[in-house]
Amino acid sequence: MIGYVCKYAPIELLHALGADPVRIEPLAVSFDAADACMHPNVCSFAKAVLEEMETGSYEGIVLTSCCDSMRRLYDALVDRFPEKFVYILDLPRHTDREACSLYAGQIRALARAYQEFSGAEFNRGCLIELFADGLRTPGQLRANGRPGQLSVGIIGARYNAAVGKLVEQCGMSVAFDLTCVGQNRDLSAAFGDGDVASELPELNDNELIEVYSEALLGQIPCMRMADISRREAFLKKALPQVDGVIYHTVKFCDMYAYEFASLRKLTDVPMLKIETDALRQSAGQVRTRVEAFAESLREEKGLMPAPSLIHRKGTAVYVLGIDSGSTSTNAVVIDGEQNIVSSLVIRTGARSIDSAHRACEEVLEQAGLKREDIAKLVATGYGRVSVDFADADITEITCHARGAHYFNPSVRTILDIGGQDSKAIRLNADGTVADFAMNDKCAAGTGRFLEAMARTLEVGIDELGPLSQQSTNKVQITSMCTVFAESEVISLIADNVDKADIAAGVHRAIAGKAYGLMHRVGLEPVYMMTGGVAKNPGVVAAVEERLGATLYICPEPEIVGAVGATLLGLDSLA
Amino acid sequence: MEVARTYGGVVASQLDDHPNRAAALINFGLKAESFRTGHLPDKPMPAAYRYLNHMAIKSVADALKHPETLAWTNIFAPVELLQCFDLECVSVEALSSYFSGFWIEDSLLDRSDAAGFAPTLCSYHRTFLGGFESGIIPEAKAAITTSLACDGNVNTFRHIATQSHIPLFVIDVPYQKTEEATRYVVRQLREAIALLEQATGKKFDIDRLREAIRRENRSKQHYLSFLEKRRKHLYPATLTLTEFTLFATHLSIGSEWAEKFFEMLDSDVEKYPVDTSHRIFWVHVTPYAEPALASYFNYSDVYSIAADDFNLDFTGQLDENHPLEALAEKLIDNVYNGPLSRKVDIVAREIEHYDCEGAIEFCHWGCRQSAGGAQLLRSKLRDRGIPMLVLDGDAVDRRNNQDGQIRTRLEAFFELLDGRKGGTA
Ligand code: SF4
Ligand code: SF4
Ligand code: SF4
Repeated sequence: MIGYVCKYAPIELLHALGADPVRIEPLAVSFDAADACMHPNVCSFAKAVLEEMETGSYEGIVLTSCCDSMRRLYDALVDRFPEKFVYILDLPRHTDREACSLYAGQIRALARAYQEFSGAEFNRGCLIELFADGLRTPGQLRANGRPGQLSVGIIGARYNAAVGKLVEQCGMSVAFDLTCVGQNRDLSAAFGDGDVASELPELNDNELIEVYSEALLGQIPCMRMADISRREAFLKKALPQVDGVIYHTVKFCDMYAYEFASLRKLTDVPMLKIETDALRQSAGQVRTRVEAFAESLREEKGLMPAPSLIHRKGTAVYVLGIDSGSTSTNAVVIDGEQNIVSSLVIRTGARSIDSAHRACEEVLEQAGLKREDIAKLVATGYGRVSVDFADADITEITCHARGAHYFNPSVRTILDIGGQDSKAIRLNADGTVADFAMNDKCAAGTGRFLEAMARTLEVGIDELGPLSQQSTNKVQITSMCTVFAESEVISLIADNVDKADIAAGVHRAIAGKAYGLMHRVGLEPVYMMTGGVAKNPGVVAAVEERLGATLYICPEPEIVGAVGATLLGLDSLA
Repeated sequence: MEVARTYGGVVASQLDDHPNRAAALINFGLKAESFRTGHLPDKPMPAAYRYLNHMAIKSVADALKHPETLAWTNIFAPVELLQCFDLECVSVEALSSYFSGFWIEDSLLDRSDAAGFAPTLCSYHRTFLGGFESGIIPEAKAAITTSLACDGNVNTFRHIATQSHIPLFVIDVPYQKTEEATRYVVRQLREAIALLEQATGKKFDIDRLREAIRRENRSKQHYLSFLEKRRKHLYPATLTLTEFTLFATHLSIGSEWAEKFFEMLDSDVEKYPVDTSHRIFWVHVTPYAEPALASYFNYSDVYSIAADDFNLDFTGQLDENHPLEALAEKLIDNVYNGPLSRKVDIVAREIEHYDCEGAIEFCHWGCRQSAGGAQLLRSKLRDRGIPMLVLDGDAVDRRNNQDGQIRTRLEAFFELLDGRKGGTA
């Protein structure tokens, strides 16, 4: 078994050499080995490949000189596995005749090296057969999925099987895959309509490899190639044919963010950007986003999920929503007329499910209702999947949008800063999601960051806002990370800088992050802020200053998501 | 330093709404040389470096002022060709360092992140992209880059060239040296020449290229001779000056001023006292704004950078009779090209040759070729008995440096060297 990772790898040739090439799609448990011999900032895919090689079942690996991370992976592997067949092909960035013959030379050298390594013979017939097959398989763009299904394109750096499965689970079928490895390589792209396949047997070995090299380099180019006009042309044709695009990037791979940045300006097709890092445990991290994206696409297409029919006739209708967040659990009951009957906010305990139970009981008690009176119970928020007594779960993105629309229909951009994450959502006029961006990876710009800062300043979290309003001097907190911001604040305190000024500086730092997030979804007024942090007048003022516009804050900014959940629940009963 | 900081604040506050004004301010700032170089005014800067300092700042200022002669390149681009078209090469790396010198890198980096470029990308590239998105970078005549060493190049250049509709040529440098590889690069150099002819409306004159190559050969000889003498004499320098030397060894190599600078270095060095410092070999970029490093190295007679792999990335002589082949080979033979094992051998040889006690590699944020290879380089050098320190930081983004961490590591490394040398300083 010999591993490969790139769509430009000569897979057919490896077969013809008697090797058993397998595409490496690693999911690592940790990067311990990789971090030790490379660096934590190397692309996480490259690190995961190194971890995968550690498992020992590969006789070797064939890489391409794709990027700096790949080249350094090669250096690390050569050093670590002197007994294995570790090979790097020098892949040109141009694809003209000279480049093709250069690559053909590389392929021949690989063949010689592998024969020397394994003693195997080159089977010319096998190469011709597989190559001809490759030439005859249809192009990249597949027919759309079943009617009533969403069809999406996946673009970007390689994704792993877990992501593919998630996309499928969310009811989306993949119309084209223009990621790094590309699940279906198209070897015919270089040759137009000519029937190259039938001419292959006539060629001598040298010519055969030349044509093969031309076919490999003629695939729809990836982003590391010098000329990507054929990629752009392909996308121009393919994008209008899909309902949405999932743009996938790999942590510490920078190559694909460029394309995402320019595609955003180029097309109106809804796009979701997700980033994964090839670690097993983080595969679920993108779930919320992909689900929310599918929900919003479905809504746009008018493909709402079938309404469940728990609604009992003859009684007044009540719907209960629970927003199970990492810091607070919020519950709301509304009636059939969309009036809020009762609502409450409690701190989330160690087990979110216990808090959800408690919130449910208490909000029912407040409303004077029993569980049986509730026609539908909808869960949302970070812990929504574990609320096992709910009838449905919907992401907090969709729910927030709907809830915001309920409080103020003119709102177009929401900033939600919660305890552990922050997000910006842009709304359509009807309260559906137009775009969103989330930060859930680092504490910067979340409630957690504020708490840490309040602790460092030795003031209560509720005092931070009023305190900052007494500020008279501008102090800048530059660190982007809680740990360093803390030491920065400590040294400011040591320099006798006024606490009010420091607090205001902290708020401006948060506002800066928040602004970036809102910028990513497009700054469309009217603005609304939700979540616990919206109760801090200092942050609100700082964001307003940064935006140059006022923020609408509803009476209880923490229940917006739960209200949205009830409204969506009510819709489904109609 | 404080001048630049306040000045940077002014520029940054103009960025959002008045890109043109910000560009004008930067131009003015370059002219006024209020740029923060980290030089202590009370220490005498050697003559050659005074000249370098002046020319490095001037070359960027002039180019920004006259965009009709401006070409965007990366640090490895074959600038000799561009000189034949009277184009002034300003690289992504150089310009981002300048922005950082004005303390406006933070606003530009934020701008780049907001535009959707990866925050994990090298901050030289991000600062440049942020400047481009903010509209403070004037449009160049053409852009030429190479794939050598660095991933960001192809995509950053493609982005700016497409957005501003200027012609771009990417010189793809093969990883391995073969005759075919050289031919492949020569052919690309010819294409680049054709592109430049079209962009400038000038005809390529191969004799001018030969002249540049002759100057380049003489320059490199002077440089090597200087480094040879530098083994005995301590020529006072700073991190900034080591970085600025890249202007002479790269962006302006082949020019008259670069030759003059190397001549000055070569003839000046023996006037200086005997070197008793701990001689360090530097790997990759020198973060001039990092306080701990600056405080230990700038004009120090205790610790000095004796040589660095970046300025020495190609030391061969070019064959003026086959100028394009020579330039092609220069690219392929660069230390930064090819597998790490090659770099290990070259670096180890240079460390020994220049009597260095140890090496320091600064892994600049986002630079995968450097970060990805640093541990391996360290362990290979250790096998040969050469201590090496790997530092993580950011040569552009001040927010991204943990001075305390760098200081601790650096001091521990120096203590280790002191121990080996028998306890001095
Ligand atoms: S980016 Fe291109 S060269 Fe790199 S692995 Fe992906 S397909 Fe291969
Ligand atoms: S994911 Fe990106 S950085 Fe990693 S190997 Fe692929 S192209 Fe290179
Ligand atoms: S520091 Fe590294 S990544 Fe950045 S420009 Fe230089 S070589 Fe490229």
